[in-house]
This record gives sequence, C-alpha cells and structure tokens, in this order.
Amino acid sequence: MEQFESLLTCCVCLDRYRNPKLLPCQHSFCMEPCMDGLVDYVRRQVKCPECRAEHRIPYQGVQGFPTNVTLQRFLELHAQIAGELPDPTAGQVMERCNVCSEKAYCALCAHCDKKVCEDCKAAHMEVLRREISRINNQIRRGVNRLQDILSIVERNTTNLQTNCAAVAGEVDEIHKRLAKALKDRTDFLRNEVDRYLATELRNLTNLKDNLELELSNIQSNCDLADKYMNDDVEWEDTELVDTKEIFLKTVEFLRNFDYEAGDYNRRMRFIMTHDPNQLVLHVASYGELNISHPNVYSGGLQQSQGLTRSKSDHRLASQFRQQEEAKGYTENDEPILGGRKFGERRPPPQEKHTRDYSAAADDYSGYESEHRPSRRFRSRFVRSHQQDNDSDTEQNTRAVKAEQQQKEKEKVADTEDATRGPLSGIFRLSDCPRVMQRILDVDSGKKKEKKEPAPPPKPVQPAPQTRRPPPSAQRQQSEDDEISRLKRQNKGAASSQEPDRTPQRATDEERNSITRKPPTPAREASSDGESDESVGSLQRTQQRKNTTPVQKPTATARRPSASETSSAHRPAARAPSTESSASTESSGSAVKHTGAILTIAELKAKYSKDGLPPKSGTTLFSAGNERTAPVTTNGTAGGAQRVQSRFVGSQRPTPVSAPAEPAHDDSDTSSEEETDSSEESDEEPASQRKPESQAMARSDIGPLLARSTNARNDTHESKTKESPASTRYRSRQASQPEEEPPSRYGASSSYSSRYGSKPKEEELTSSIDDDSKYPTARSRYLALKERRNRLARSKSSHTGFGVGDDDDPDEPVSPTTASPSAYLAARYGSGTGGSELSRSRSSHALKSRESSPERTVTGEKDGAALSSWARYLKSKYGSRGKDRDPGGTSSSTSRRLSLGLPLRSANELASSDDDSKNAAGSPISPTAATAAVAGFAAAGSSPRSQYLQKRRLQFSVGSRGSEPGCFTWPRGIAVGPDNTMVVADSSNHRVQVFDSNGIFMKEFGQYGSGEGEFDCLAGVAVNRIGQYIIADRYNHRIQVFDPQGRFLRAFGTQGTGDGKFNYPWGITTDALGFIYVCDKENHRVQVFQSDGTFVGKFGSFGSKLGQLEHPHYIAVSSTNRVLVSDSNNHRVQVFDVNGRVLSSFGEEGSEDGQFKFPRGVAVDDQGYIVVADSGNNRIQIFHPDGTFLRAFGSWGSGDGEFKGLEGIAVMSGGNIIVCDRENHRVQVF
Amino acid sequence: MAALPRRIIKETQRLMQEPVPGISAVPSETNARYFHVIVTGPEDSPFEGGLFKLELFLPEDYPMSAPKVRFITKIYHPNIDRLGRICLDILKDKWSPALQIRTVLLSIQALLSAPNPDDPLANDVAELWKVNEIEAIRNAKEWTRRYAMDN
Repeated sequence: MEQFESLLTCCVCLDRYRNPKLLPCQHSFCMEPCMDGLVDYVRRQVKCPECRAEHRIPYQGVQGFPTNVTLQRFLELHAQIAGELPDPTAGQVMERCNVCSEKAYCALCAHCDKKVCEDCKAAHMEVLRREISRINNQIRRGVNRLQDILSIVERNTTNLQTNCAAVAGEVDEIHKRLAKALKDRTDFLRNEVDRYLATELRNLTNLKDNLELELSNIQSNCDLADKYMNDDVEWEDTELVDTKEIFLKTVEFLRNFDYEAGDYNRRMRFIMTHDPNQLVLHVASYGELNISHPNVYSGGLQQSQGLTRSKSDHRLASQFRQQEEAKGYTENDEPILGGRKFGERRPPPQEKHTRDYSAAADDYSGYESEHRPSRRFRSRFVRSHQQDNDSDTEQNTRAVKAEQQQKEKEKVADTEDATRGPLSGIFRLSDCPRVMQRILDVDSGKKKEKKEPAPPPKPVQPAPQTRRPPPSAQRQQSEDDEISRLKRQNKGAASSQEPDRTPQRATDEERNSITRKPPTPAREASSDGESDESVGSLQRTQQRKNTTPVQKPTATARRPSASETSSAHRPAARAPSTESSASTESSGSAVKHTGAILTIAELKAKYSKDGLPPKSGTTLFSAGNERTAPVTTNGTAGGAQRVQSRFVGSQRPTPVSAPAEPAHDDSDTSSEEETDSSEESDEEPASQRKPESQAMARSDIGPLLARSTNARNDTHESKTKESPASTRYRSRQASQPEEEPPSRYGASSSYSSRYGSKPKEEELTSSIDDDSKYPTARSRYLALKERRNRLARSKSSHTGFGVGDDDDPDEPVSPTTASPSAYLAARYGSGTGGSELSRSRSSHALKSRESSPERTVTGEKDGAALSSWARYLKSKYGSRGKDRDPGGTSSSTSRRLSLGLPLRSANELASSDDDSKNAAGSPISPTAATAAVAGFAAAGSSPRSQYLQKRRLQFSVGSRGSEPGCFTWPRGIAVGPDNTMVVADSSNHRVQVFDSNGIFMKEFGQYGSGEGEFDCLAGVAVNRIGQYIIADRYNHRIQVFDPQGRFLRAFGTQGTGDGKFNYPWGITTDALGFIYVCDKENHRVQVFQSDGTFVGKFGSFGSKLGQLEHPHYIAVSSTNRVLVSDSNNHRVQVFDVNGRVLSSFGEEGSEDGQFKFPRGVAVDDQGYIVVADSGNNRIQIFHPDGTFLRAFGSWGSGDGEFKGLEGIAVMSGGNIIVCDRENHRVQVF
Repeated sequence: MAALPRRIIKETQRLMQEPVPGISAVPSETNARYFHVIVTGPEDSPFEGGLFKLELFLPEDYPMSAPKVRFITKIYHPNIDRLGRICLDILKDKWSPALQIRTVLLSIQALLSAPNPDDPLANDVAELWKVNEIEAIRNAKEWTRRYAMDN
C-alpha cells in the first residue's frame, strides 16, 4: 500500500497526482504547478525531473502532453478504496494569487474581494479577526457612551414624567382653586340672596301686619263714628274733642301715609363683574401647556458644533446608506426628509413613532402631532444625509469597502428572524443561525479551527448596545469610523454583532410590523418557547461561554436557579434565560463595560446601582408593573414566578431603581399571587391604588403637600402608595400593557427590550421634540451635547457657553413664568430640579398658593447671582450633575453652581447626603431612606462578587526607568474618560498616560517649576472634560492641563493660608469639576473650583474625628462622599462635600479592615471603596458603608505583590489599578 | 513571506518522521527553509566517526531550483572548499525537482565516501589527493578528528 501510495505521488510536489501528464520518457507529473514549473521557456522544452530527458513542449504548452490516463484511473481507484473525498480542487484551475502572486487554487476572499490563495485568505481572515477584536475593544470602550446615554434617557424619562406630573399637579391645583373660588363665590351670593330675601320678607310682613291693624282700627273707628256719633248718644265735650282729634289724626295719617311702592320694585340684581361669556372663555382656556422648543436642532451652527464628533458617523452611515440605495437595496420611496434612522434598513413607517407614542400616552397625541411631525430625531440624520452627499462619498477606505462587499456578497450572518436593534439595526450575533452553528461546533469541539471571522466578535456582544449609534463617537476619528463601519457592517447584515438588540427589536417589530412582519412571528414563535430549545440553549451556552473565567463562578452560581426554573417550565423559563442574555448584553453597555460579558450578578449590580443614585422616577413604576406583567403572562406557577420575576426584574435594562426594589418585589409577588396572571387585574390595583392616594393627597394633605407628593410619588410610590402621578401618566402606563399584550410576551425573550427600548423611544422623542416642551429635558439635551463636545475634545467651553447663549431667544415662556428665576430655572434647572423650580415659579406667580418660600427666594437669588461664569459652569457641569443624581439634587447643584459656590448654601435646604437628599424634607423621608439603604444592599451583590474574585494580576505596566512606559516612583494614578490610565510618574517629573491595556499613549511634563513643569508631582486627577489636574508636590501648587497635555493654568503656592499648600498630595475632582486636594503637611483638604478659585477647606491636624494627619489621597464617590486616606491616623474618613464627617473606618493594624499608613483610596461608581493599604502592602476593598469586603496582596515584587503602595483607582470596567511605588510599576487587577 | 509550500512541509515532516540513517536535518525555528544538518562521516572513509555540520537553505523557487548546501564543519575533501562550499552536480546543473533534501544529503554523504579529485573545488586538496592519496586521506582523517569529533 505504501508503494502504491508512492506511485500515486508526484515526485515534484510530493502530493497526490493532480492531472498527471505523461512525458515521452514515460514519467508523469502534475500538470500544475509541477510540470509548469519545469518548463524552460527559453528553450521551450521541459526536462524530466526523473531522468533528465528533455522534451519539446507541444504547441499548446504542457497541457499538450497526454494525460496519464492509467495513472488517473489508479488515482480514482485508490480514492475509492481509501474512501477519500474527491479532491476539492479537482475541477479548479490554478491561478495566481492576487496577493502573493503564487500559483495556487484561489478562492474569492471576502476581505479584499480578490481571488487569493488559501494562505493569503487565512492571513486575511486573521486580519479580520484582529480587526474585529480591535473594534470590539473600541466598542467596549465606547459602550459606556451608550450607558451614559442610557442613563440620560432614563433620567430624561424620569424628568419627563416628573415634569408632567408637576404640570398636571399644577393644573389640578389650579382647577381646585378655580373650583373653590367659584363655589365660594356662588355660595356667598346665594347666601346673600337668601339673607336679603329673608330681611325684606320680614319687613314686608311686618308692614302688612301693621297696615292690616291700622286698617281695622280705622275701620272700626269709622263704623263707630257712623253708628254712635250722632245725637243718640250723649258724649261729653272732651270725649268728642278727643274723638275728633283721633279722626283728624286718622285723616292726617291717611293723607300722609304713603308707601312708596306700587309693585315691589326694589329688585336685587345679579351683575357679573366680567362679561360672563368672557369669563367662561377665560376659564375654559385658563391655561395651556407651553412646550419650550430648544432650537438645538434647527440652529445649524450649534448643531455642527455639538455634533462634530458624531457627524462623521452619520456621514459614514448615510454614505453607506446611499450606497445601499444606489444598489437598489432599499425602497426608493424614501421621502426627502426620510433619512432613515441610523442603521435602520428601511425607513420605518412614519406612523410608527406617532403610534407608539400616542399609544403610550394618549394625552400627548393631540399636540404631539402638531409639534412633532418633521422634527423627529432623525432630522439630524437627514441633515447629514442630505449635506454629505457630495463630500465624502468616496472617503471609504479599502476596509470599509471590503467589509461592505463582504456584507453584500454573503450576508452570511444576516438572518431574517434576528431581531435588530431599533437604533443601529445591529442584531445579536447569537441570533444568527450561522453563528449559532459555529458556536455549536466549537462547543462540541469539532471544528475548532474553521471558525469564520464572524464568531470572534462574540465576546463583544455585551458591549454593542448600540442604542444610539451616533454618540459612539467618543474617540479618535478613526475609531469612530471603525465603529461605524462595524456598525454598518452589522446592520448591513454580514455580521451579527448585536445581542441586546433582540429584545428591543421585538417591540420595534411590533411597531414596524409592516416592514418587519415576517421576522416577528418567527421570533415570537421561537421565543414563545415552542420548544426552540436549541436556540435557547445555544444562547445560553453562548452566554456562558462569554463569561470570562473570572466571572464564571458567579455565572454558574446564579445560573442554576434559572435553569431549574427552566427545567420546570420550559417555555416560561426560556424567557428569563434569553432575557438574561439579552440584558446581559444591554447591560454590558450599561455597566460601563467590564472587559468581558457580564454575569448576571454584575448586571444586577449594575442596575441596582443605576437605580440607586438616580431615584429613577416613574420608570421605576413602570418597571414594577412590567415586571409583574411578564411573569403573569407567562403563566408560570407561583414559585417559579417569583424567582423569575425577581430574576428578570433585577436585570431589566430599564433602571429598576434599587431603592424601591424590595418593595417592588414584595408587592409584585403578592399581587401576582392574588391576581393570578391576568395583566389587567395586575394593572388595576396599581391604578386603583393611585387615585385613592391621589384623592387622599388632595383632600387630606392639602395642596402643597399634594404637590410635593406628586413630585415625589414616582420615587416612593410603591412604598407609600401615594402615587398621584398625573392621570396622564397613569393612563399611559396602563395603556402600555394593554396596547399589545398579545405580541409583547409572545416575543417573550424580548419583553425587557420593550422597556429597554421604550425609554429610548421616549428619550428620542423627548430629546428632540418633547424636549423642547420641557425645559429640563432640554437642558438634558444640552448636557448630552456638551458631553459630545467634551468627548470631541473640542474646546467645549466655548460651545457650552455659546450654546447657552444661543438658546436665549427660545426661552421657554411658561404660562406662569413671571420671575427671572423661573426663567433661569427653566433653562438651567434640570430633572426634578427643573420641575421643582417650575413649580415654585408657578406658585410664585399665583401668590395665593402656599409654596415653600425659600425655594422661590433661592430661585430669585439665583437669577440675581447668576454670573456669566456660573452660567458657563452650569451649562458645562450642571448637566453633569444631573447625570449623577437627577433628583432634587441637581436642581440644588445647579443652583449652587449658579451661585458660584459648591453645595454650601444649597445644602442648608437639603441634607448634604445626596443619597437621602431627595427624601430629606419630604414627609415620607424615612421610607425613602430605607429604600435607599435597601438599594445599597441590593447594589452590593454583584460588584461584590466581582471584587471577591479580584486578586489575580491582570497585567502590570512599567519598570524602573525614565523611558516612556517606565516609572520612577509612580504615585498618583487616575482613570481618564476613555478608561485611560494616567500615572503621576513622580520622580521622573512627568505624567504618563496609558490606554486601558497598558499601552503607552503619551507623556507630558518635565522637571522644573515653570508652567507645565513638575517637581515630584504626586496626585493626578482627570476631570470629566478630560483635563488633567496635577498636584505638583514640591512646587506646592496645582496645575491643570488640557486633554492634550498642554498647560492651562496653575494655582497655589507654599503656605498655610487658604489656597496655599504644603506638599499637596492626592487630588481628585468631582462630577461638578470641583477640585479636592489633600494638603498633606497642612493636614487638611482644600476644595477649589475648576478654575482654581478657593472654595473651602476642612480638616485640621489631629486624630479626632474630622481631623487629619498627613492625608494622602482623596476620592469622591458618585454620591458626593469625600473619602480621605488619613494616613498617619491609619484610617479612611468619609466626609460630605461640606467637610462634615460622615464616618471613618479602619485603625492601625494588619487585620482585615485595619490599615498601616493607608495611601491611595478610590471609590467605584457603586460606592465600593478600594484602599491601598501601603504599610501592609495590600489592597483592601470595602463596602460602601465601610465594612470590610476583602483584601489581597503582600510584600514582594512578584505579580500581585507590592512594595509601598501609592495611588489607586478603579477603571470603569472594575479593574483596579494601583501604583506599586518601590517596584516602579502599575499593577492592574 | 509567502507561506511555506506544501512540498517543503511534507519533506520536513518526513525528515522528522523517517530520518535517514546518519543524517539529521532540523529546520530552524525562525526560518522553515533553513535546516541545520548533521551528516556522519561514512564508514570506510577517512571521514568515519566525524559529525559534519552543514547548513541547507531552500531557495524561494525550490523545488524548481536546488537547495543551497554548505559545510560548516571544516573538512578536508577535494570537492569541498575552505568555505564549505560543495562541488556536486546535483546541486548545480543536474538538479532535478524530483530530488529532495534527503536525496541531496545522501548524495553529499556519498560524496564523502567517494571524493572526486577530477572535478575539484579545493585545488590543493585535489592535487594532493591525486598525487599522494595516502597522505591526503591521512590529512582528511586528521581534520576529521580535529574538527568533526571534538564536540
């Protein structure tokens, strides 16, 4: 057999003969490439490799040599015997590879659209893979944009609702007042009439009686006189005289008595002070809703500034679209204005938006239709669509083209029934059958190698929660392009990026049922659990796969419960599981990207976290409703339900606000159990409950209270049952479930998306149209825009200011607006703040209202004190403050800002602790507080697990040296906006910036005391607009650099006075841009405005609470807690922003929770505190309340070992980065 | 650099799996076309007992052109010069694509047992070989002992 084999082997290529050609010397060789290669073209002969015989080449070339038929038969025979597959290249002809120009069997490469050989193709695929992973990384990094936007959307939702609730409250209030006034007046008038009637009547009766008496007297007198005043009777003279007198008197009386009334004409008349018609008219139109229309979208200049960043995306997108269109890919009936939504394949029916919105809130439909029509959010895209036609059509790079082609060509990953993200058109890779197949293959370990480029992006999936594609413009242009390209690719079809989309898609589908009808049913069917188990399990496995090893434990730990459920109730349980994957992804974005897919735990954490600081308003409410709903519809039995509901609920993309969560759970489950699975019945209690409480609020508490409850109801609703939210909202929420019960849970896997997407929709509408109605939403938009600016690294300050100025003309003139404060509030107030202020403004206008006086006063003060700087700051940071805590806080922050002060004055109004700020002063604050605490607890679960797993070094950066990427005693460290690592390379007197993978990006600074020079800098911080703030230790000053590392300003000198430093060390900045400096040798913390203006200080030398000894590092949590590593007191103290001590933890020692000269301190966005316990050479992690969570690390220079810790920071993915000083490196955990 | 042709891969595999007795050829870790070769001196030749290092490089158009082979170990041989270059027809004009690495190395081994002083490369050696074969062989043995055995 061996020999047989060798007989069939061409001695040149050592391969099986392919098309053997027989030379005259009887030796055979493959025609290509062997014989081909033997040709001596000069002499037109071929030399036999075996016998060296030379043969003339036939006229037709080597092809002309006869084929060795015998050999070929043998080959066939052999193939038969051995059962080999026929040579795949049998029928093919060799060609020159277009890349390496080797002769080979070429195939079309989707990457470059050339015929290339296998090797080149493999290389190209590798390139694609790498590109994908690179883009994936970018997406990962960019995803927090989406998260931000998501949170903005959520906040906008809340604000919208709050605003509307407030307005509705006002309307109700006015109505009540009008009614009362009307009634009072009516009653009064009626009383008057009655009283008058009675008096007059009495008088008349009296008169009548008297007259009658007189009459009878006179009558009798007359009679008597007639009868007896004659001679028959003897009268004495006196008697006669008297009688005569009497009669004379009577005559007199009769003559004189004159009752001057024939008829009774003393009439009472009802006179209107105003023309009744007029009055009715007035009342009938006693108010209207004024929706402020920020001109943001129409102002071309503004826009171009605000959107510079993302425009490229749009351009690319539109360009892509155009190309698509050119290919006749889409319908041509696209209206002029109908640039499609980004990434959408076909223009959705226009009515879609109207429908969804009006369905959701009937009340709006009225004016919605007036205000809305063209001003949809797409207008932006339309713009780019139209404008950019000319300019950059040919800007597509090779890669873009390639990718496109790939997409066009194969659309391998395209699936009809994958649900697509409503915004980007990206669908989940995991929905794509091909991808599924691949994954399946991989799972079964069969074809590991043969993956196509598509699968690699899989890990990305959590990330691309492309809810608002444009904003992804976060990084450099090229990256944007990358992203957009990817997006496009996805959208286009070829790939399958898009996990989270699915859910939303379902909703979307329902709306767009016309365009997307086909997919929907399929999807629905499958997800309906019509035993599409393969899909389900696939997704599940995939998800599992996706989880990084670190997180795996959690995932598996949690999973069982889900799968238990699922085993019990296959169909029903499927929903949660898919859900989880769905929300995994979506949250992936939301959770500011952990490097890998999130475990459910993370998700949960994420959401609870999300919910925590922003007492997310009505969303919560709806979330609650929704949460119940799915369960009930699923018709699962109680036990499973419970699990499910909580499971589902906790990871819904909509912000389940943590505070209320427990309550929700309870109420949900209980109501479930009672009502047993009908949606309506579920819905009812809620709405019933509300009117009641509303009534109660109205009647019992009095108008003011009612109002305030109104405002807060969103937050506390579930707990307090005082949920007056305006009827509008009720009806809206009520209508949601009704609107589509059948399909909604039919696509059960995607129900969450529905609410994922809903807010989004709302946001879109609100940010564009409705925005304009609500001053707050509008400022939100400003914020958004601003952020874009910031990210664009443009001089956003100008824009910010400019925007603010430009907006002046289209100030919202609210019906009740009278005072400038209201005006300003409307402009700059945000979130609840805005509505609160608007409330106060209205109360101000309607003087009779009992409104909180201070509020109005403050507002006015604001207006007065609002310097341009403050305005600038506000427009710049105010929005950001909003971002953080969209509650009353933001209003107060903005107020504060307007005063140019941090939190001081405003804080008197509300508690300084933002966590409970909302609650403070509210009648129901205790509940709120507990809710907040509960939220904390809930939030605790996941980062906790994440942190519990932390100990393994991910990587470390640097070694001793002064080259880029090396350190000499690195001290401070901070995380920049793009998750960059900013390291204060202290003894190299420079700042180094690394990307999140530890790749050196840039450095700036050198030794010296001039501008931009350092002397052993220590602390470093990056504010939200990317400016670097450096504690220049031995120069006793703070320096600020722009995001490019150019010197902006410096402030401070050595000394002990305000604004002077003695070896400033740690530094940080809060969301409002205030700078906190650990003034180490002055044993205090100083606070500055971002321009360096001294604002305040706290701490003095000592070891008592609130005192500091060598404070080293400082951090500010998202809840405005200021954490200071009080190094020589071996503790961490927690202050509020005013410098009041809230708590302190740790004492000297090396047990858990004890410190030895703690240095770096950092806090993540969920409040977990990470402390670089320098003396113990370990990192300790604490719960937000300061209780110990875990510690890791020891002395040494190996991985995960430290020698003298310095600054520490937490990246947005949860990675802990720490400066390992004596090892001259940065370690990442 | 373009990917390795299948033929080279096959040859390399075969060399590894079925090594030729007395010959070892190992591809370089950094360049699959470069082989470290060790050839044992054939029995009954003045080179017996020696281990001769060679380097072998497969040019770009291999197998259409011959591999480049060179002795690294110094050897006293009329057809191998001081630089280790080999005068062997199959490495030159008589190359055939049907030849392989192993056959080339076998040929080289054979060349060691049968020096051909009539087609010399190292003229002085060839001269001595022709004039005084005994001394030449002694020299060869001496060189072998000195250069090819001491490791």
